[in-house]
Amino acid sequence: MTSGPRRVLVVFCHPLPDSFVAEAHRRALAGLATTDAEVRSTDLYAEGFRPEFSAAEHRTHLEPGVGDDIASHADDLTWCDTMVLVYPTWWSGQPAMMKGWIDRVWASGVAWDLPDGANRLRPQLHDIRRIVAVTTHGSSKLVNSLQGEGGKRTLSRSLRAMCSRRTRTTWIALYGIDTCSDARRVEFLERVESEIASLAR
Amino acid sequence: MKAAVVLAHPNSDSFAHELARRAHAGLLAAGHEAELVDLHAIGFRAAMSPEERAAYHGASPVLDPIVDGQIDLVTSVDTIVFVYPTWWSGLPAILKGWLERVMVPGVGFRFDEKSGKVRPGLTNVRRIVGISTYGSPRWYVRLVNDNGRRTLMRALRLSCGLRASRRWIAMYALDTTSRNQRQEFAAHVERSMSELR
Repeated sequence: MTSGPRRVLVVFCHPLPDSFVAEAHRRALAGLATTDAEVRSTDLYAEGFRPEFSAAEHRTHLEPGVGDDIASHADDLTWCDTMVLVYPTWWSGQPAMMKGWIDRVWASGVAWDLPDGANRLRPQLHDIRRIVAVTTHGSSKLVNSLQGEGGKRTLSRSLRAMCSRRTRTTWIALYGIDTCSDARRVEFLERVESEIASLAR
Repeated sequence: MKAAVVLAHPNSDSFAHELARRAHAGLLAAGHEAELVDLHAIGFRAAMSPEERAAYHGASPVLDPIVDGQIDLVTSVDTIVFVYPTWWSGLPAILKGWLERVMVPGVGFRFDEKSGKVRPGLTNVRRIVGISTYGSPRWYVRLVNDNGRRTLMRALRLSCGLRASRRWIAMYALDTTSRNQRQEFAAHVERSMSELR
């Protein structure tokens, strides 16, 4: 177990800076600013992250390490003990931009290795103790449940399996955003700020 | 029958490419019309742009001629066949982006004027086929949740209406299969597609 202040990586994904999710991102950062946590922050759209896995990357995907263009992303991932992903849920999962960050950065030698002859990845992100999602859904909780909550399970099962056995996930989600009241939106933003702050203390 | 085969893999010498070619050949051999779309080869962009997001709920949400071409295709077929590797239990980013950018309001779905609820938009499609490879064994895929399959077979199917049929053809634990097993699977894919009616 690491001691000292939390090391928090915040990954934000929304194309529009005036969106509700962007506001939730600002509130998450504001919450973190009230703690002594060290924070690294990534805005995938603002930096022009390329989400498509390239042919060259695929040819070498079993070899450890990533290309220079995403080396800082890989470093952030191995540095943090708390990971906060802020994104809108589209088609029951992370937007393509964020899925591309997962496809490319959660690479061999960073998030996992594959021993010879094995067909299951061996986890490497032992320092990550908590995965937090801050997300919005256009449709209701019922519809999302029927569709299987794919985005939630991607984090709580697939990604968490690359971390420590003790890693926990925290799901901070606003459902039915297309039809919900302003009061519920405000309440959600307050919840984001206070919950993220308490997780980072 | 008219089919679109949508392929999402960056490497032209990949197994996914072979599966897509075999699926396409099977459809043609059965006398169907079929178009193979290699998303990487046509330069499809995965991420929805800020301009596209801003236009999403407006009258003209499509701003990219490549997306326009995909919309012309999916609105003219009765079968869509997806061929892709499952990564992190889901669709590769480029295929996830295809859903986000092609299945826009007015194409994949429409909002009912009275209730504001989502209604199917792609009612010309009566069959969705998924052909996917997994690095993990089947039991592990079930344990962590087969998210890509659910996205296509549940969320996308709602765009086509509940009368649309579904077919899933998968190969698990790909990295530990033999060459023979892969060849058998590719033949199975071609045969299955040639038997579609």
